[in-house]
Amino acid sequence: MTGTEGCDRYMSSKFEPKIHVFFCVNALDRGVFSTQDPEKAARIQSVKMPCSSMIKDIFMLKAFECGADGVMVVGCPAGRCKRVDGNIRAAKRVAWVQKLLDEIGLGGKRLVYTASSDTDAAITLLLKGLAELGPNPVKPAAQASPR
Amino acid sequence: MIVAKQKPIAEIKEMLRPYQKVLILGCGTCVKTCFAGGEDEAATLGAALRLAFGQESKSIETEELTVERQCEDAFIQEAAQAVARNEAVLSLACGAGVQAMARRFAKSVLLPGVNTTFIGVLEKPGLFTEECSGCGDCDLDTFGGICPVTRCSKRLMNGPCGGSKNGKCEVSPDIDCAWQLIIDRLTALGLQGNLKRYIPAKDWRPSLAGGPRRLLREDHVI
Ligand code: SF4
Ligand code: SF4
Repeated sequence: MTGTEGCDRYMSSKFEPKIHVFFCVNALDRGVFSTQDPEKAARIQSVKMPCSSMIKDIFMLKAFECGADGVMVVGCPAGRCKRVDGNIRAAKRVAWVQKLLDEIGLGGKRLVYTASSDTDAAITLLLKGLAELGPNPVKPAAQASPR
Repeated sequence: MIVAKQKPIAEIKEMLRPYQKVLILGCGTCVKTCFAGGEDEAATLGAALRLAFGQESKSIETEELTVERQCEDAFIQEAAQAVARNEAVLSLACGAGVQAMARRFAKSVLLPGVNTTFIGVLEKPGLFTEECSGCGDCDLDTFGGICPVTRCSKRLMNGPCGGSKNGKCEVSPDIDCAWQLIIDRLTALGLQGNLKRYIPAKDWRPSLAGGPRRLLREDHVI
């Protein structure tokens, strides 16, 4: 993102959270992330991965550095990971980074893990957490461009 | 391997507060294996610190680099240029690595990013356990390969304390009783006779009690 986009968001009185989704390509129909709600869809940027276990701590933090207000990781439903336990690994990594986000003051509720069967409910939960926490507090100048 | 644990972000932040440009230097050997200070951890810590400081008025520039081993001069030389372009180095190596860096880069500020914890093994994925205290006079032959100096909570050298229950130490049900393990293993090996050996009071001089230790191999000194 550019610095200007970040500034616009901070000047706007209505908080419209930006959400970054990392999803497993095997977890979703046709390997595409979608949501029923067009308003939510407009706020979402998604990245597909060969398996949810490919998610790394740095990817999630980098999304926040690039201006995301919330991040969601989507894996396969329990017992249906093609790589056996990739979804369990992803969920654990997300839980670890949630603690890190609390530690650095950004708030662990900005990050959720969900199984693909439940993405709309997870976005709603994430938006609820974001409504409590407000916009990503990292000043736009400190936000990195995606590398 | 040396097992270490990353320091809390709040503590690292306070150390770094006086600086604007910081090199986060990972080490690709022990601390990488225990997820405290390898490439991934250096990158994650860099982002975490930028996000943490980004919420305040303070901004910080971080550079991340990982060398193979920070306890060896030949490897840390590779970091020279990166060290020179930053105001301070946050080393994610064990205490030996931090000190090797401080020795080589006399004019640079060296800060520890991890707490060096123990000499241990990877018991199963994600679990590291302490096995050796580096006492300088190894008696593992007597104890069937299980160290009572390190693994018996009371460092008993001549048999169990009597508090062991179901193979667990009385100090905590999470700790195996080292003496139960020693007796089981010596029995399995047919070496019960070892248990009759009296171990006199341990001589701690070869350990840290004698001041900093040195290991000199004349045949490798030119
Ligand atoms: S006896 Fe000493 S050197 Fe041997 S394993 Fe135990 S602490 Fe380490
Ligand atoms: S219970 Fe076993 S390990 Fe614990 S202090 Fe006693 S002898 Fe040592």
